[in-house]
This record gives sequence, C-alpha cells and structure tokens, in this order.
Amino acid sequence: MAEIRKVVVVGAGVMGAGIAAHVANAGVPVTLLDIVPAGAPNRNALAEGAVERMLKADPAPLMTKAAAKLITPGNTEDHFDAAVGDADWIVEVVTERLDVKQALYRRIEAARKAGSVVSSNTSTLPLASLVDGLPESFARDFLITHFFNPPRYMRLLEIVVGPLTRPEAVDTVSRFADMSLGKSLVRCKDRPGFIANRLGVFWLQAAVVEAFARGLAIEDVDAVIGKPMGIPKTGVFGLLDLVGLDLMPHVNASLAAALPKDDPFHAFDRPLPVVQKLIADGYTGRKGKGGFYRLNREAGKRKEALDLATGEFRPARKAEVAAVAESGRSLGKLLDHDSPLGAYAWRVMGATLAYAAALVGDAADDIEAIDEAMRLGYNWRWGPFELIDRLGADWLIARLERDGQAVPEMLRLAAGRSFYRVENGRRQALGRDGQYHDIVRPDGVLLLEDIKRAGTPVIKNGSAALWDLGDGVACFEFTGKMNTIDQQVLDLLVKTVRRVKKDFKALVIYNEGHNFSVGANLGLALFACNIAAWTEVEASVTQGQEAYRALKYAPFPVVGAPSGLALGGGCEILLHCDAIQAHAETYMGLVEVGVGLIPAWGGCKEMLHRWSTLGRLPKGPMPAVAKVFETVSTATVAKSAAEAKELLYLRPTDGITMNRNRLLADAKARALAMAESYVPPEPPIYVLPGPSAETAMAMAVAGFRRLGKATPYDEVVSGALARILSGGDTDVTETLDEEAVLALEREQLVRLVRQPGTLARLESMLMTGKPLRN
Amino acid sequence: MMKAVVAGYVRSPFTPAKRGDLAAVRPDDLATQVVKALVAQTGVKPEDVEDVLVGCAFPEGEQGLNLARLVGLMAGLPQSAGAATINRFCGSSMTSVHTAAGSIALGAGEVFVCAGVESMTRVPMMGFNPLPNPTFAAEMPSAYMGMGETAEAVAARWQVSRDEQEAFAVRSHQRAAAARAAGRFDAELVPIQGRKGKVEADGCIRPETTAESLAALKPAFDANGVVTAGTSSPLTDGAAAVLVCSEDYAKAHDLPVLAAIKAVAICGCDPEVMGIGPVGATRKALARAGLTVGQLDVVELNEAFASQAIACMRDLQLSPDQVNIDGGAIALGHPLGATGARIVGKAAALLAREKGRYALATQCIGGGQGIATVLEAV
Repeated sequence: MAEIRKVVVVGAGVMGAGIAAHVANAGVPVTLLDIVPAGAPNRNALAEGAVERMLKADPAPLMTKAAAKLITPGNTEDHFDAAVGDADWIVEVVTERLDVKQALYRRIEAARKAGSVVSSNTSTLPLASLVDGLPESFARDFLITHFFNPPRYMRLLEIVVGPLTRPEAVDTVSRFADMSLGKSLVRCKDRPGFIANRLGVFWLQAAVVEAFARGLAIEDVDAVIGKPMGIPKTGVFGLLDLVGLDLMPHVNASLAAALPKDDPFHAFDRPLPVVQKLIADGYTGRKGKGGFYRLNREAGKRKEALDLATGEFRPARKAEVAAVAESGRSLGKLLDHDSPLGAYAWRVMGATLAYAAALVGDAADDIEAIDEAMRLGYNWRWGPFELIDRLGADWLIARLERDGQAVPEMLRLAAGRSFYRVENGRRQALGRDGQYHDIVRPDGVLLLEDIKRAGTPVIKNGSAALWDLGDGVACFEFTGKMNTIDQQVLDLLVKTVRRVKKDFKALVIYNEGHNFSVGANLGLALFACNIAAWTEVEASVTQGQEAYRALKYAPFPVVGAPSGLALGGGCEILLHCDAIQAHAETYMGLVEVGVGLIPAWGGCKEMLHRWSTLGRLPKGPMPAVAKVFETVSTATVAKSAAEAKELLYLRPTDGITMNRNRLLADAKARALAMAESYVPPEPPIYVLPGPSAETAMAMAVAGFRRLGKATPYDEVVSGALARILSGGDTDVTETLDEEAVLALEREQLVRLVRQPGTLARLESMLMTGKPLRN
Repeated sequence: MMKAVVAGYVRSPFTPAKRGDLAAVRPDDLATQVVKALVAQTGVKPEDVEDVLVGCAFPEGEQGLNLARLVGLMAGLPQSAGAATINRFCGSSMTSVHTAAGSIALGAGEVFVCAGVESMTRVPMMGFNPLPNPTFAAEMPSAYMGMGETAEAVAARWQVSRDEQEAFAVRSHQRAAAARAAGRFDAELVPIQGRKGKVEADGCIRPETTAESLAALKPAFDANGVVTAGTSSPLTDGAAAVLVCSEDYAKAHDLPVLAAIKAVAICGCDPEVMGIGPVGATRKALARAGLTVGQLDVVELNEAFASQAIACMRDLQLSPDQVNIDGGAIALGHPLGATGARIVGKAAALLAREKGRYALATQCIGGGQGIATVLEAV
C-alpha cells in the first residue's frame, strides 16, 4: 500500500486551513494553496494569512506552534504543478461549485503523479457529478473525504467512494486518516449530505422551525434538546451560533435541491424571516456580532437571548423546564410530558429518530454508521438508534402510529427487540436482514469497554478496578466521579502492584472517561481541612507518594495511556510511569497551585529530575529549577500531547497515538515490548541550589505581584513551591535523594492546607468550578 | 601626565533582542567584527595595541571565559595585545575607556581598543543562574532590585509624570529617526555579517511613536506604576568600540582624533534609585575638569529609562537641546555592555561635528552607581 508522505491542500478557507494544520499535526509536510488575490502585492497572501490565523486561533488547530513549520503556503499559479506533482494525497477544499471543482480537477489530473490520490471535502456535491466527464484515470483515484469542523478536534471523517475508485486508493487514504489523523471513518453512500449532515441538518431545522412555530424560549429549547438526550449543552440555538447562522440557508437549499420530493426534510424546509434578518444585520453567530444569543456590551456584557416571537433580544434567563425536571432520567417520560415543551421535544426527536431509521439503506448500509456519525460529527452521547433503544423500539413505533406518522421499515424490523444487544459478552447490531451481527473492531483497536462487557475485574473497589487485557497485561482503571483519585484508588494501586507482580507481565493505566483524571478528590481534601484532620492529610500525602513510588519501582513495566485532561494527581501518576503512550488530545498539567496546593505526590520530584536530565537548558544549578517553577507556579496545562513533550510532562521517548480507539492497543503493545528485558529505573540523585534559588524565585514572583499578574496568595503558594524546588536548606555541594524531596513536598503541603487562603481556593473550586484569585 | 584621546568610534547596528536581525549572531562574533572595523577605519597599527578592554554586563555563556581575549584573537590582533573583560553592568565599556585613559596617564601603554558588547538575546539579563545571597537579599533587597522597579522609584521620588516620560520617549525616537534619515549614523555604523546576510540598519527606532501610542501601553513593571515598555530602553543586541590612545601617538601616526579625555568619575548612590547615578558622577567629573554644566556643548546621557534621564537632567539643569541630539537608548536600544563605548564615542564624534568645546557622556548603573566622562575638543 502506498504511504502518504506529502500532502497538498487546495483551498485555504477555514476547512482547508484546518485540514492542512491537522496534517501538520500528524508530522507530515503539507502545501496549502489558494488563488492569487486580484491586485495583491503578496501572491501567497491567502495561504499565508491562513497560517498566521492558525497560530492565533482558539481552540488551536495546531497541536504545537512548531507544527506550522510543516505547512508551506503557496498559490495555485506559481506553486501548483510542483506541489501537486510531488504529493501523495491532494485534498480539494475549494468553493462548493461544480464548475470550479471540475476545472481544478483537470489541472490536478495534468499535474499529479501516478499513484497519487485525490479527494474532495465537499459536503453537498455528489461524487458522481464531481467525476462526471473527467478521465477514468482520475475517477479511479478519487474519493470524497468529508471532514468536520474543526478538523483537529472532530473525530468523524465521512468517506464516499465511487464505483470506479481503486480499493488501494481508498485504503491508502483511510489508513492515513485513521492512523495519522486519528479519524474514525464512516463509509457513506453517495447521497446528499452524506450521513451526519443529512440527519443533523434535518434535526436542527426541525428544532428551529418548531420552536418558531410554538414561540418557545430558546433557553428552554436548548435545555430540552440537549443534556437530557445526551446532546451537547449548546443544544440547538447554541450550536447554530457556534457553526454560523449564515451557513443554514446554503446548506438547507442544497439539501432541498438534491433530495427527492418525498423526503421528509421538505416538510421542515421553510424560510425564517427572523433568521434572515439576523444574518443581514451581522448576527451570524459567535464569529459575528452574536446569533440567537449575544453579549450586550453596552449593558455590561449582559448575556441576551433572541425572543423568537418578536425577533428582539432580551436578557437571557436560566431555563426551567418542568418536562425535564419531572422526567428524571427517563427520555420516554420527557417525550410524553404533557406540556408545550414535552410536545415540542416529541415533535422534534420523534421526527428525527424516524428519519434516522429511514436513512438506513439510503444514506448508510447499517445503523452503526449512522450512530457513529452522530456521536462523532455532532458529539451526541448516544446515536439515534441507541436513543431508540433507550426509549424502546415498541414505544416509538406505538407513539408514531398514534400520531399517524409513518413508521420506517428499519424501525419495524426492531419491533419487539432492540437495535443493539449483548450476546456472550459481544455487542451486536441489528442488520437490514433482520439478523444481529457482531460489531467487529478493526485490527489495532482494543477498547476497555469491550473487555468490561465480556468479563469481570481482577480486583476492584469503589474507585478503581484492575482488568485483564490478555497476553499478560493488566489495565488499571479509575472509576470514580471525573476519575478523581482518592484513598481507595491508592489502596487498589498498591494491591495492583502486588497482583501484577504475581500474575502479569506488565501494567497499563488507562480508562475510557472523557478525561484521564482531573486529580485528587478535592471534596475529601476540603473535608479533612475543615475538621483540622492534619494527621490524616499528611497520611494521605504519604500514601500517595508511596503508592506512586511503588508503581515506579515495581519489577514490571508500567505504561500510562492518558486521553483528555490529566491534571494534578492524575498527571503525577503518569510522571511515575516507565513510559507513556498518550492520545494526541491529552492535556497534562500540574495545576495544584490553582487550589492553593503544590504537587506533593512526587510531581515536583519527577519534574525536577526530568528537567535536570532531559531538558535542553544552559548549565548550572538554576535553569532546571527555574523551568519547573515557571511551569508549576503558573499551573501550565499542555494543550496537546505534543506540547506536553515540550513541557517535559512527557519524555521525548513517550509515544503519541492519534486515534483514540487505538490508544489501548498501542499502550499494551508498548508494555509488552518493554516487559522483555525490563529493569526498574535507578533512583535519581538531586543536586539543588538551596536558599539562593528560593530567594531568586521569590524575587521573580514579587515582580509579578507588583505587575498585578500574581495575587497575594499566589506569593504564598509560590513560596512553598520555591522552597521544595530549591531543595530546602541544601547546598550545591550536597546531594539529595528522592525521599528528601518528597519530605519537602509533604512539609510544604501540610503547611499550605492550614492556611485560610488554601481553604478559600479549595472551596471556590468545589462550589463554582473556578479558581479563586485571592 | 600623558593625555588620552578618542581616535575612532564605530558600532554595530542595534537591533531588538529575540526578534531582531542580530539575534542569531554570537556576541563574540559581533564584537569581533566591530573591533576589526575600528582597526581598519582608524588605521592604527595592530602591533601597537597594548590591551583590548571589552565591557560586558553578563559575561557568561557565549559572552563567558575572557571574552575580550577571544575577541582580540578573533579580530586578528597580534598575540602581544592583552585583553580584559570588564563588568560594571551598564557602565562596563565606559570603564574600559577610563581604564585605558588611566593606563595612558600612567605610561602603561599608548593604544587601547575599548569595546563593549551584549547579546541580550543569547545571554539573558540576570544570567542563566541567578542565585542571590539570601541573607543579604533579606537585609538589603534594593541591592538586587529589578531595573524597572528602580525606574518607578525614581519617577516617584523625583515626581516625573508619565506624560513627561512619554514626551521624552517620543522626542528620542524623532531625533533618532531624523538622524538616521539624514545619514548621521552612517559614519559610525559597521555592517555585521549575520546568519542571513549583512545586517546594516538599526532595528529599534520607531519613527511612528506618538504620545497617543505610548499612552495606550500598560505599565511594564508595576500595575499602578508610570513606567511602560515605551518609556524604557528595549532589550537590545549590539556592540560598540572606541580607540583610545595617547595624544602623542595619535599625532605621530596621524590618527583622526575626535576629542581628548578631560576628566572621569565614578559615584555610587542608593541602589533603589540607581537611575540618578549620573548626577553624582557628573558633578565629580565636572569639578575635576574645572567646568560647569553651562560650558557643555554636547551631552550623551544614557536613556535607560525616561524617568531617570529626566530626573538627572533636572538635577543637573541640563537642557533637552544639548542632550542626546541624535536620539538616545529609548529609541536606539541599550545593549548593556556596549552602551558606554557608544555614548563616549558618540559624544566625541558630536563634539567634532558640532564644533563644540566640551562634551559629557554619562550613564546610570544597576546596583546604584553613576559614571561620567568629560571630553574636550582638540
């Protein structure tokens, strides 16, 4: 199979730039081309401007600033032939006009090398029209790769393949998109809107039209068509503000034009004068002056919401929806609730779920593709068929029939049963043939979810569990709320070390939560402080230090495999692993100072050692200490695994997996490879500068304080950190062992928890979720 | 007693640290090119050079070892020429001049290369390993005080308003921009070979600076303060050199003498208001020269910060018309170790250009000192 080593992206708009950035994130050189703007002195202005914006955008399309160096901006006149001729994959992301695209394809066909693959990011044009009239040689190497915005963060990639497309071309691009870009691929049929937008736009349009028709408050709508359904809390109107209101009319028009006359979409496709006026007035969403919601700066940054009936803005209010409050976790009760919002919820979701069922055989071959598309393309927690299973297929059929609505064939097929089931520990999905089929994971995809479904833990308690991954590898999973780390986690960790030593070859620390771990359980810490249980606090610090140390010096390799946030104690456990295989979207940080604490489970000790041995710093006793101080005193969180390497939260040798679903398998493979000839690490020896360094750091913080960048209590917490990192009363002529640094961590933590400033910070974080700047 | 004269002055372009064109140039390479140019331009015989005195405020890393010796050798001076690196922070290369003048008076040599250099890109201010004495820092925090903080202290004690500082900074930029436009820097500038070609132009001057643009800046050192990045000298990379020799030698070898060194002085002050250092040093030097402020035609007073420059001018009763007429460090930049050589060389060159009688070059020094040099036309 051909490898993709060079990529060209033609079209430097939001999507093209985002795709180019993500190719660079994968470490692959990419040329980003756009037209020469009329009369522009700089012929590369468009592509160069796109790269400049990438470096500033938030959320960042680039995983590190350094990745921008892999992007070569250019223009389609001067650089086209050379760049396209050298590329293995050419991605077209130009305007959605058939004539423009086809003219470009002819140029690409003339310039590209044999064996290269061309794909379009079109979201509205069918593949059949795109290749119509083009040489067969082009059609053989052409497919649609439909990314979602923003390409770095949205895991869905819809693939549409034509009848002539070479299977090897599909494999080449699929493999790259999966392994290097980390995308989950969903095969779609060559139908309008493919899957996610076909259903997603239907859902949004139904929700908006019905909300207008019923004159509902948009806060209420977002509260109903949101969290209770596992839909992101932006709901309907918040989501439209995010993607841009001006996009709606275009997408609707193109779908309306392309869909057959009997498609249910047409029933909801009608002009909305209020929305047209909003767009005309510049209310295009968050990118513009606001959208359905806006911040009224004249009224002191007041959040306002659009009144659908009047088209005027009014102060936003907190949603209070009886239908939600009274339904508990039952989606059925919510859709049956006898209230305007209950009726609305049913109207929107009933139609949407029925539409989803009607798409099987039309937009997709199977229900999993549709569920996956909505989970990954719209961030729904459950796909539509999973939602139907929660309601019960029979319930939905009955309700549709009662309302005199059509019941799609695929839904009828599920009557008396469910779309998904678990059989002998394997998850199965209902097919169009009426049979259940095993859901088969691709090679290299191992999910703890599957292991858990099929078996029982080796050991477990209320906050953690140990699982057998097979081949002699065990997996330690946090199971508490937000995967916080408490005494029970530490208890089980110590037991795990003993158990793995006896029964396994290696250990992986991994879980499938949104976040690896947000750190120590602060609620328990605050409780201990409030009752002045200082001995217990110190004991829990010691317990954590000992558990993490046991992990580090265990006679078997330990591989940490984080994804999402790994903060505080969750970061410290990773710092004690022999190796890390991190998901690219891992956000590590020692953020303890935010709650008035300092890393005391060995985090200071490990970071000092890393920067002393691995940091590319000038010589002398101070640079490593200063670097750790800077990172920890500002609670710096790496915004990607690649950035974590720059901060040495990850070592240069640690691995990064782009595809979330491949993380566990990669970590397991790494653990097994290390197990062959594993020797535990040698304990480090520290040479630290002592009080001079503490003074230097205190002076630096005092400067920030004067400048208003550090608060009075920051100075106290930083002081404790400086004391640890400088090595206390040591001198450069002396050496310290790990225990000495750990003792400093304990001493300073115990000192801080007795301060009212720390208590206030802990309380604020627990009550408001925000750090207190006291 | 043998009279010392300034018989040549050159400098590199001054460019902003980190983002300027000299960021990628090693400080030893930078100083070497400037010294070579000085020797070539003056026509001094290399074998006559007694000593190479290079000022540098943070002599470590690429500025470490005996930087002066390395620069002398790299510049192709004979092995017989000695070399010393001199550190008096911002007064480093003015001290080179004083040392040379003193040696000439003592009969301990006739020709001295007095240079200074600082790459504030490659060796950070405070150095790589700031390790203050904890006990003394507690006893006397001002000894370690940051320079920005001292600028605020001067502004407060001498009642220098933010507006006044900003007007001063604008004028500095205007004068530097006008001097550049009129080609008045051409004679002193030495193009430097950088990684990406020749660096020929100063990089810190901002002719577009206005009182309004400066008023929009946030305080740089104290949230409630009056000193901003716009009224401070920028972190700068650069080098400068002057040739100091005995008057007899200059005459005998027909060297282009710019000025004679009339008197010099050092004077310590309270570290907390180090910016006021030039006042004491200037008074001492003028007294030694038997002169009054009124007799000065040209003054180069280093603009570490507008607040301290204004305070010094007030106390010394200097007129803006006589001070820094081609702009000062706020506009040109302040590569710490190089500034002393620049302002002595500049004062000497201006004295010749403006056909004046007496000139003063003076500057403040972190830790609480001032240094001054009085020059006389020959």
